[in-house]
Amino acid sequence: METTIVSPNENQKIASNGVMGMLFLLVTEIMFFAGLISAYIVNRAGNMLWPPYNQPRLPVEVTAINTVILMCSALVFYFFFKKFNSKKNALSLLSLSILLDATFLCVQGSEWIKLIHYGLTTSSSLYGAFFYTIIGIHGLHVLVGLFILLYLFFTLKNNTVSFENAKNKIIVSGMYLYFVVAIWPVLYFLVYLF
Amino acid sequence: MEHHTHQLNFWQKYFFSTDHKTIGAQYTIVGLMMAAIGGFLAYVFRYNLAFPGENIPLYGSLSAQQYNSFITCHGMIMVFWVAMPILLAGFGNFLIPTMIGTDDMAFPVLNMMSFWIFLLSAIVLVASFFVPGGAFGGGWTMYPPLSANGYLNTEPDFLTAFFSGSSLMLVAVALEFIAMLMGGINFLVTTINKRAKGLTPFKMPLVIWFINLASVIFMFSVGPLVAGAVMLLFDITLGTGFYDPARGGDPILFQHLFWFFGHPEVYVLLLPSLGVLAEIIPVFARKPLFAYRTIIYLALFSAVISVVVWAHHQFIAGIDPRMATFFSIGTIIISIPFAGIFLSFMATLWGGSIRLAVPMMWALGFIALFLIGGLTGLFLGSNAFDIYAHDTYFVVAHFHYTLFPDIFFGFFAAFYYWFPKFTGKNLNETLGKVHFWLTFVFFNCTFFLLFFNGLGGQHRRINDYSAFSNVMQEPYILFEKISTISAILLILTQFIFLYNFFSSLAKGKKADKNLWSANTLEWIADSPPPHGNFKEFPVVYRGPYDYSLPGIEEDFIPQNVPVSEKEKLNRV
Repeated sequence: METTIVSPNENQKIASNGVMGMLFLLVTEIMFFAGLISAYIVNRAGNMLWPPYNQPRLPVEVTAINTVILMCSALVFYFFFKKFNSKKNALSLLSLSILLDATFLCVQGSEWIKLIHYGLTTSSSLYGAFFYTIIGIHGLHVLVGLFILLYLFFTLKNNTVSFENAKNKIIVSGMYLYFVVAIWPVLYFLVYLF
Repeated sequence: MEHHTHQLNFWQKYFFSTDHKTIGAQYTIVGLMMAAIGGFLAYVFRYNLAFPGENIPLYGSLSAQQYNSFITCHGMIMVFWVAMPILLAGFGNFLIPTMIGTDDMAFPVLNMMSFWIFLLSAIVLVASFFVPGGAFGGGWTMYPPLSANGYLNTEPDFLTAFFSGSSLMLVAVALEFIAMLMGGINFLVTTINKRAKGLTPFKMPLVIWFINLASVIFMFSVGPLVAGAVMLLFDITLGTGFYDPARGGDPILFQHLFWFFGHPEVYVLLLPSLGVLAEIIPVFARKPLFAYRTIIYLALFSAVISVVVWAHHQFIAGIDPRMATFFSIGTIIISIPFAGIFLSFMATLWGGSIRLAVPMMWALGFIALFLIGGLTGLFLGSNAFDIYAHDTYFVVAHFHYTLFPDIFFGFFAAFYYWFPKFTGKNLNETLGKVHFWLTFVFFNCTFFLLFFNGLGGQHRRINDYSAFSNVMQEPYILFEKISTISAILLILTQFIFLYNFFSSLAKGKKADKNLWSANTLEWIADSPPPHGNFKEFPVVYRGPYDYSLPGIEEDFIPQNVPVSEKEKLNRV
């Protein structure tokens, strides 16, 4: 069967499809984290002993450094976007951003292994349950972000898309990355310090 | 304009299609199949209620555990696997691109993926009937601690806990939400970016407004429920104890997270159907829709209020009475915008030249039945009354009087209205009328008497009332029997619809391009619309409800007809 496809009439754009779709996704994500955070605060406020006596303390200092690493990842990505705009080859900056992202995940992972050895597990206390759920879900988001950046890297490296299309992909990936980075200090404060 | 052609094989055309109409049909058909399962479950437990202990034809004997599973899955299936795919995904996919005058969705591949994830979720749910212990039976609201402990979790390892009815249901719901989220993003981006030239927001048909508004409400409220569901899943599989009071957790927390989504969900389901009514009523009354902009503002208002009414489901859960009063007031306030919308529909009918075609009958039936559902909702919204009526058949009858018209009358109205457009075949009018009247009568016989059973004190989650002689006496025994027999007849009536559907599809008369003389853009396209919908993209000059304008010969003017000088003079 033969069919004809007529190009869509996208003549009145406020933002590109990708940007707008990502925006709506992020609204949902914000509400998702809001649900987790409010659940945490409700339980945290109802428990006098926080953290419980027999539970290990969280690695505040290492994670503070890790926070800086994650922030740098977003900052480097921003410079990459700026440089890409002036049509210079900026892939080294993108790979640095990927590297920082991966470092964050590795540090988180090694801290988790230590904590499990110290006896903090999902079922050891509500404290551990919330820690692994909230931080784990954030880690999963960083991991997804890492895959997005890798996809972006190989797309740009193979030069398969037009400049405009590539720029759009960078903006959409950036929105996701900035969201994941921006939510982290809030979670760090609530889970590690509060 | 860029033109190119390509070949599609059978699989690409009917299964892995990215065409919005095919995906809409896939959603609708799977939704109807799930409705058949949900209806069968209803038949089994209704039979058990009227004739306790007897062997159920086509099923056998029903244990108390199975009864619980069946009522739970009936609710789950009807809300998440019938209403959501048909009303939101089905209507959205069929109507949005055709009514805004474009060729397809903004993300066609995402659209296809959303359907396949949805299908997977349906399969996971149906599979949960066959795991050890059966499907989850703690009520569709999945309140912990019942859901967190499950029935077989004595000392579970991860895999046994994961393949239990309760956690499979959570996984199915999560997959379904991912699918609907992908659909919702698609609807919003398509509507914002791909409207035909000249189609400003206030020239859009109301159904497009309402489907998008429903998507916004869904996306805003679904996050907290997903968070709650993830925590519940961890409680079941990883032993976290978020909702276990013995370990410092809080079971009421889940109720808040659930109903923060659960109540707005009601409006997610209601708005698309109201949109369909707003399309059908002006066409068959031959009058402009009364107060078009006011309806939009009322709907926006209701969307805002919808997220601050959730705790009216928890009046007997031990929440603070001051909070209960706040939510009581919110609940009663939210009836105002919907009363306003229905009033506008009434005003549209007033003085119109009404054609009682089949879609119009379903639309009017919707209004009549929803009135009963809405008014009993006002009773329940008041916390003083709710404390007595909570979890009785009064509540059951109330929400069936809202959801049944919403899901099925809304769907059938849309089905009889748009079927000729999207298949190119006319339906049998007489069979349609018989289908309507039998459904209308049997629905009322099924549910109206349950109000009295509820006020008499019958609780909704008890499978056998033989042991409770105080609430199992005449006339309630008789009412149960009438209700069950009517429910069976209601289900049998739907075979008329199936017959009409298949026979019209096979040998129905060819439908006119614009058989109802309607204004909106989908009627400009061929019947059925080809891949890409329009030969030339329409340009829009006017709103969708210009019927019977003074001084114009035709009583309808499609949206792509420019406004003439004469008309401008008449309008002032």
